[in-house]
Amino acid sequence: MAETKGTIFRIRRFSIHDGPGIRTSVFLKGCPLRCSWCHSPEGIDAQISVWHTPGLCISCKRCLTACHNEALKMSSGSVLIDRAKCTLTGGCTEVCPAGAMQFTGRTITAQEVFREVRKDIAFYGTSGGGLTLTGGEPLFQPEFSLEILELCRKAGIHTAIETSLFADLDVAEKISSAAELIIADLKIFDPQEHETYTGQSNEKITGNFLFLAETGKALTVRIPLIPGITDTAENINAISAFAGSAGRNIPVELIEYNPLAANNYRRLGIPFQPDRVFNKDNL
Amino acid sequence: MTNISGKAYPSERILSLRRKTVSAERYLSLEQAGIITRVYRQKSDLPVILKRAYSLSASLDEISITIDPQELIAGNRTVGIRAGVVFPEAGISWLEREIETLPSRPQDPFHVRPEDISFFRDHIAPFWRGKTLEDDIYGAAGEEISAIETVVKINQKDHAQGHICPDVKSWLIHGPSALAANALSLSGSSSGEKKLFFEAAGMVLAAACRFMERYSGLAARLAGDEPDEKLRGNLMQVSANCHNLSTGPPSTFREAVQSVWFLFVILQMESNASSFSPGRMDQYLIDFYRKDVAAGILDNEIALELMDALFIKFNQIVYMRNGKSARYFAGFPTGFNITVGGTGKNGEDASNELSYLILKAQEDIRLPQPNLTARLHRNSPDEFTDECSRIIGLGTGMPQVVNDESIIPAMRHAGIHDEDSFDYSLVGCVELSTSGNYLGWSDAAMFNLVKALELALNNGKCMLTGKQAGPNTGYLSGFPDYRSLEEAYRKQISHFVSKMTEVCTVVEKCHREHLPSPFLSSVVNHCLRNGTDVTAGGAKYNYSGIQAIQAANIADSLAVLKKLVFGDGLVGKAELLGALRNNFRDNEPLRQMCINRVPKYGNDVEWVDRIGAEWIEYFSEQLKRHRNFRGGPYQMGLYTVSAHVPMGQYVGATPDGRLACTPLADGGLSPMYGRDKEGPTSVLASVSRIPSRLAGNGSLLNMKFLPSMFSNETDRSKFTSFLKTLVKMPVHHIQFNVVSAEELKRAKADPEAYRGLTIRVAGYTAYFTELDSDLQDEIIQRTTQGENG
Repeated sequence: MAETKGTIFRIRRFSIHDGPGIRTSVFLKGCPLRCSWCHSPEGIDAQISVWHTPGLCISCKRCLTACHNEALKMSSGSVLIDRAKCTLTGGCTEVCPAGAMQFTGRTITAQEVFREVRKDIAFYGTSGGGLTLTGGEPLFQPEFSLEILELCRKAGIHTAIETSLFADLDVAEKISSAAELIIADLKIFDPQEHETYTGQSNEKITGNFLFLAETGKALTVRIPLIPGITDTAENINAISAFAGSAGRNIPVELIEYNPLAANNYRRLGIPFQPDRVFNKDNL
Repeated sequence: MTNISGKAYPSERILSLRRKTVSAERYLSLEQAGIITRVYRQKSDLPVILKRAYSLSASLDEISITIDPQELIAGNRTVGIRAGVVFPEAGISWLEREIETLPSRPQDPFHVRPEDISFFRDHIAPFWRGKTLEDDIYGAAGEEISAIETVVKINQKDHAQGHICPDVKSWLIHGPSALAANALSLSGSSSGEKKLFFEAAGMVLAAACRFMERYSGLAARLAGDEPDEKLRGNLMQVSANCHNLSTGPPSTFREAVQSVWFLFVILQMESNASSFSPGRMDQYLIDFYRKDVAAGILDNEIALELMDALFIKFNQIVYMRNGKSARYFAGFPTGFNITVGGTGKNGEDASNELSYLILKAQEDIRLPQPNLTARLHRNSPDEFTDECSRIIGLGTGMPQVVNDESIIPAMRHAGIHDEDSFDYSLVGCVELSTSGNYLGWSDAAMFNLVKALELALNNGKCMLTGKQAGPNTGYLSGFPDYRSLEEAYRKQISHFVSKMTEVCTVVEKCHREHLPSPFLSSVVNHCLRNGTDVTAGGAKYNYSGIQAIQAANIADSLAVLKKLVFGDGLVGKAELLGALRNNFRDNEPLRQMCINRVPKYGNDVEWVDRIGAEWIEYFSEQLKRHRNFRGGPYQMGLYTVSAHVPMGQYVGATPDGRLACTPLADGGLSPMYGRDKEGPTSVLASVSRIPSRLAGNGSLLNMKFLPSMFSNETDRSKFTSFLKTLVKMPVHHIQFNVVSAEELKRAKADPEAYRGLTIRVAGYTAYFTELDSDLQDEIIQRTTQGENG
């Protein structure tokens, strides 16, 4: 079998809030949506890039000399990356002794992902957990996702995907059939609004959702609560009614907005629009 | 607060007793030291075992006693709560140096009455100088002790060694009066040393009965003067209980609990040592409980209140340490370890109604003692495991969890018979013991494998002082390959193990000569059967425990050498050696490479973990080549409790990027702090590669969880699943801490030590130290609020 490769930005073991039980979450890089509030900005771009973590930097400046493109400069204890000049050769990541200069993701085969996921198989057994593919958008790398799901399923590992469902129907259908649970992140019900805040209409999303609901597939809806955008009573009620219209009992979960997102925007050196909001009850 | 049949717990009485215990001012008490000194003066010609027996008997007859009218369970070894005592026959040198500064020392101070200073200086110290256990040990092996002190810390040099789980079951079945009669009759039919032993045992057991009778009398007198009817009734009950116990075994649950407490008070009056452990209390008290419940004289409400009262009692005896030791064993970890749950004789689950009541008592009392341990195994009921999760979630660090599936095979591997291994319990912190027939001498010494590695890199010379501490085995710069380094390391370890066991033999011999313990021996099988004191090898099992310190630093350091130096060649041998000697001064990039360019133990990276495993195995094999003074084997422990701090002070900079004199990895099997970044399942995977089956003396793993892990039932059930998975892994022990705001502040100030610390905000996880300062502050703020709420 050809070794299907994909791009991920993280594997998190002992993940306890991405589906039932104790899970391993694999974060796939690349997303077709551009949600203004995205809390994993490093997962948006399908391309791997470089980012810098000031808290780890020891200001040794080795990266500055290692960069052949003069894309880096030091400014008040932090390294600034001129992304127009950066050609991602990775010289800076190789010389950085502190792990402050890193790629935002890595290329990996489905087999390698599976081997990572398999490590916690004993914990899945006792807790009813398993694998969750998330991102970014797992439907954005369909073959890669499919292969991981199939490898896990064959090994008896419960599989889930967390997805926006923004994909062509055949992709959604294929991948969904390989996963035992679909966690659908439904954000905004109004198609116009959806396009305004995510760059895409939600037509495909709702279509895919209804299709999946009809197949009887295990589904959970998650609504991220973005202040002033998705957290209105009107939007929440509309999505809940929509989920209910499928004629099945599909659970709807409300997910707090991630106040830590700003940190990752800073590390990527890109501006972040919404104000950070802490919800008091959720630490 | 728990709620049983509509009533709020803990009760008002318990809250009041707890308040009084916690707020009592601690004083130095020389009352018993005075009695012991007098007896030794008067009976200077007698054999030591009789002097010890007369001293204990006189103390039981004379020591001032008191009873709080609210107390359900009476008794203490001093009239003051939490008084600090010293037993001069073991050693007085530290108190000679520190008696004046006891009240002002920063950690665990004690008030000292001026008259006690002069009593000590004029009457006690002069008599004992040159005659104590400590004097003899240093006389016989002082030079050897200092010759190995950078690598080996020899313990139990100036106090009794404690660390034992007595046979509480037979104490409850027979009671001291029957045990005394038995010992005296055996004394009549034997001769020589055995006769002396039986005579001594009979004497102290009879004195134990009189001690209980004194409490009975005092309670009756206090009852006579007590105007409050309820308190008077309680005192009369205390009086009746103590009287019954002085003449026979307990017949009710309350008497049994009182009897257990008397046992530990008297053990402390004989030995003043840490870590006399009650063991499997849910097992030996359950028959009393069930009998009284069936008879209609006991319900869960009363039983829990008695457990609460006993838990408070365990905090009224503290072990006073010298100033240095108090810094490392802060807050009086006296080591009364109670074990609940676990398997029965045939592998069946043995948890019972009392297991749950004891866990509830932990919820009620939440004081440092007792140290509470829950045994889990593959057939533990979900209800029990989940109750453990709930209590752990309260954040007291208790119960610690131990794994029958890993420990019982390890004990068998160490030579424990099947009829004893299932019945194991924990002693002190995490030391393993069978119930009532085992002298593990579990804290014989700590062996600093990290320091030995330093010597192996530097031709046996200490990098901090330049002194020659070990054999000449070459410099890192001269090793042609990794194998040569391994060879040098093996020589260093083997050298220090041999020297250490020679000193341990001297220490044990001196204990036998100075601190025979007839009372303790009468509750340790088979001392009474074979007429041999426990210090002379009278127990059924006779081990000595040596702690191997510290797997994480060894694995991480050797991985750096293997990969960066001998593998990739990215770092030169001389360059690294020079940097280590200079404590990485002006070479932070090299130190960062050591930290970040090579994977670390605790992240489920097999080749690194195997290095740790290999050396732990080598060390254990070296121990097996020696026998202890009592004819038993040495066995390895993988725990330090808090000694990773002082042990680290002896060690120069290490190839894992650790700076000179900073702490080593904590606990025993924990990864180096800040170096594990893949979460708890990865830590367990790494830990399970270290051969715990060789750690018959016990092992320790610390893990931290966020408060949110326990904040709702769904998340808590995942923690319970985590515990249920643990029992499938070869890991002995885990202690769980819940991250506090204080800890987050430390993480902010010292990010390197907390690289692996993740936090959750609003359902999202991030590495705390990678967050910007303002975000960190908000999280600290929120965690504080959570604690208050």
